[in-house]
Amino acid sequence: MDKLHLDKHISQQFDSELEDLKSQVLEMGGMVEQQIIDAVESLESADSKLAEKVMRIEDEIDLREVALDEACMTVLACRQPAASDLRMVLTVTKMTRDLERMGDEAQKIAKMAISLTQDGAAPGGYEEVRHMGTQVQNMVHSVLDAFARFDVEKALNVAKADKQVDREYKSAMREIVTYMMEDPRSIGRVMNILWALRSLERIGDHTRNLAEHIIFLVKGLDVRHVTVSEIERKIQKSQ
Amino acid sequence: MTDKQTEMTTMDKVNQSLARRYRAERRFRAYGMAAILFGLACLVVLFTDIIGKGHSAFLQTYVAMEITYDSDVLELSDPSDSNAVARADFQGLVKQSLRDTFSDVSGRRDKRALYALISNGAGFALRDRLANDPSLLNRSETVWLLADDDVDTYVKSRDDEGGAFTGRLNEKQIAWVEQLIADNAVEKRFNTTLFTAGDSREPEQAGILGAMMGSLFTLLVTIALSFPIGVAAAVYLEEYAPKNRFTDFIEVNINNLAAVPSIIFGLLGLAIFIGFFEMHRSIPLVGGLVLTLMTLPTIIISSRAAIKAVPPSIRDAAYGLGASKMQVVMHHVLPLAMPGMLTGAIIGFAQALGETAPLLMIGMVAFIVDIPGGVSDPATALPVQIFLWSDSPERAFVERTSAAIMVLLAFLISMNTLAIWLRKRLERRW
Amino acid sequence: MEAVMKETQTENLTERAEQKDHLQQEHTGETVGTSFCNDAKMSMRNVNVYYGDKQAIHNVSLDIGRNEVVAMIGPSGCGKSTFLRCMNRMNDTIESCRIDGEFILDGADIYHAKQDVVPLRAKVGMVFQKPNPFPKSIYDNVAYGPRVHGLADRRSDLDEIVEVSLRRAGLWEEVKDRLNSPGTGLSGGQQQRLCIARTIAVSPEVILMDEPCSALDPIATAKIEELIAELSENFTIAIVTHSMQQAARVSDRTAYFHMGKLIEVNDTKRVFTNPEHDLTEAYITGRFG
Repeated sequence: MDKLHLDKHISQQFDSELEDLKSQVLEMGGMVEQQIIDAVESLESADSKLAEKVMRIEDEIDLREVALDEACMTVLACRQPAASDLRMVLTVTKMTRDLERMGDEAQKIAKMAISLTQDGAAPGGYEEVRHMGTQVQNMVHSVLDAFARFDVEKALNVAKADKQVDREYKSAMREIVTYMMEDPRSIGRVMNILWALRSLERIGDHTRNLAEHIIFLVKGLDVRHVTVSEIERKIQKSQ
Repeated sequence: MTDKQTEMTTMDKVNQSLARRYRAERRFRAYGMAAILFGLACLVVLFTDIIGKGHSAFLQTYVAMEITYDSDVLELSDPSDSNAVARADFQGLVKQSLRDTFSDVSGRRDKRALYALISNGAGFALRDRLANDPSLLNRSETVWLLADDDVDTYVKSRDDEGGAFTGRLNEKQIAWVEQLIADNAVEKRFNTTLFTAGDSREPEQAGILGAMMGSLFTLLVTIALSFPIGVAAAVYLEEYAPKNRFTDFIEVNINNLAAVPSIIFGLLGLAIFIGFFEMHRSIPLVGGLVLTLMTLPTIIISSRAAIKAVPPSIRDAAYGLGASKMQVVMHHVLPLAMPGMLTGAIIGFAQALGETAPLLMIGMVAFIVDIPGGVSDPATALPVQIFLWSDSPERAFVERTSAAIMVLLAFLISMNTLAIWLRKRLERRW
Repeated sequence: MEAVMKETQTENLTERAEQKDHLQQEHTGETVGTSFCNDAKMSMRNVNVYYGDKQAIHNVSLDIGRNEVVAMIGPSGCGKSTFLRCMNRMNDTIESCRIDGEFILDGADIYHAKQDVVPLRAKVGMVFQKPNPFPKSIYDNVAYGPRVHGLADRRSDLDEIVEVSLRRAGLWEEVKDRLNSPGTGLSGGQQQRLCIARTIAVSPEVILMDEPCSALDPIATAKIEELIAELSENFTIAIVTHSMQQAARVSDRTAYFHMGKLIEVNDTKRVFTNPEHDLTEAYITGRFG
């Protein structure tokens, strides 16, 4: 079973309800993706206006989460989905939660950007932020893509990529600690960068969660709390 | 006009057609009611005709006579000697009494005409009285004697608008009857003879008891044979028989037999029971056998339908509990099918009761005076009796024919009522 | 009944032909999942059932474990009811029905020439789709089986069997004051529980249920389902149901039939969250049926 269908139900309304859930998640994911891009951009270019926009969008994402939860509840109550449909609905509720958290993290980055514009630029670390930001943003993009196509392979790659983000984060930490040691007066500002990096790392973790949800959705395998190689093995076994 | 029509809304159109539809519906109902009314009218005509003709048969004219049990006329000395009583000429007493009453009558012809006023069976009534009470010998008493059928017919038709029916009575006889009436010596009483006597050439002495008993014995034989055989056949065909060409063939034949004219069954009975088995003619046993053959298809078909109507879920339930086939049939199928089977059977019996043709073929059409006491005594049946009487020339038999028809109808109606009652009583809902 | 079954089957054939192209994956004949179990009460092996020339069941093998509830689901005319009815030889009454393969109950083939069908049905009871109490009193309904098999010598024994059976069916409290009133006067759900009481009165070891709740309202259904859960402690139960939710609620394992073939047998949990076979998935999620 490599392909997941949402359609072909006897009830076409059920088809469209599930399709609706999917497109809403994708929309919400797109918003979160844009939010991350904007947040990283605002930090880099000390653009407080952009940062404020990021914070405003956060409210809308929260609303979307609530709306999606409600839609999922309606499907559960009215359709009593089973098997793949059930996994779809469960996955959507979990994904919205992760996406919302990702939005929160993007909001934190935006906050850091605002405080940086107020306190003045940090002595360094922008490079790392941009680098990690691009990486995370690519991950988010891929995971949404994987969801859109129910692509296990791609989701697996995202899970793999998270490891790289973690490595990147660790080296960036070391780099930033050296800045702090060089100029203790800048510790406050560097800490903002550090928090932003940490948020990016968290976003990466959430993205990995999304990837795991997608694997659960398509394969029906619970791949939480295991290593990537374990996930690969499980997927292979199921085929 | 077209403008208006195009402007009409759906509701307008519906309302317009509504009136037409209601009219059609009323017409449709009227046709049904007309059909029923026609049927009812026919029934009413039939009933009024039969009852109008037949009701008078339940009354019989009696004439009061002063009878002296004169031992000389009777040539009887010892009234307790039953042989002598049986030989004695009681009719002579009647003649004596008539001569006494109309003392001015003379001449052989007139006297014979006078004697003809009283039924020639009246002597038997006197004999019975004397046999019961020997002390009556040589004493007198007033006895109501059965009038002759011509007198009976005349007395009953006296008040008719079209004038009295005189029939074979001559003017003198009429005058004598009128005199008797004037003397209050003529009375109409309930006709017990009709229900206690067998057939007779004399209408006033003819009764339907013989025919009724014949019908009863015939029907008993029919019931005793055809119901168990029919039900057994139906149960076998429905529950046990394999479904193959042979059973299909049997089924087709049973259905065909139900449509075979009854006279064919009569011929069959004649050939088999009387011809081959050499049974006696005219006996209810043979009649019952023939009618059994005739009603069997009806009973088998209705019993099969009743068995088929038993819901399969009940059968499944019993089988599912481990009941054997016979237990399923005896505990569940038969009790549930019984009302239907009984209804079918009783309708079959009612049909048998009214059947004439096959009985003609096996000789149950004979003139039999004695009342049958069992299934092997010669007998006739009610419908055959009706047929026989309707053929007789005497006017008094016309009303008796109608009376017999009324009795037969009463039997049929009560049998059908019994069928309905049994169905209501035994019916169980599931 | 047979004719109706044939009709629905042919209907399904045409329906199925249309669905073939979008389902793509076709059943190859092998049952996926876990058809067999270690402690089997009944084992069916390579069962084929024919109605005349038409094959209703194709090579089905399935175990039903001791005190296990196995649900059989599948679209109309898929053969699940036929299979169930074969398990206590109820199809013997259908003349055109021909069965081969093994039905082993406690190590003995129930279709063996020496196996009498009467004790078999006492051992393998059946509850039907429509509540079908006999048109007799409640007491007589329950007492019928024991009477037929002569299970009770004395009246007091019979009384006890009736009471115990009604209690087990959860009906005692509702009917104890009117045991002599007709069983057909009860409500639909009560009637079905009466039928269950009637079935367990002969103390069978296996109970077959053929869509026992399809004619009942949801509350009566819930009561029957509760009852099934209780009965599963003492009885082995095979249940055919059209309600997937019901199968999900009451059964330990679920078998999915499709066009007379056993497609998949798996733990119920597995079947309803992540079925192995595409046809199962399609049926469970309401993509055809």
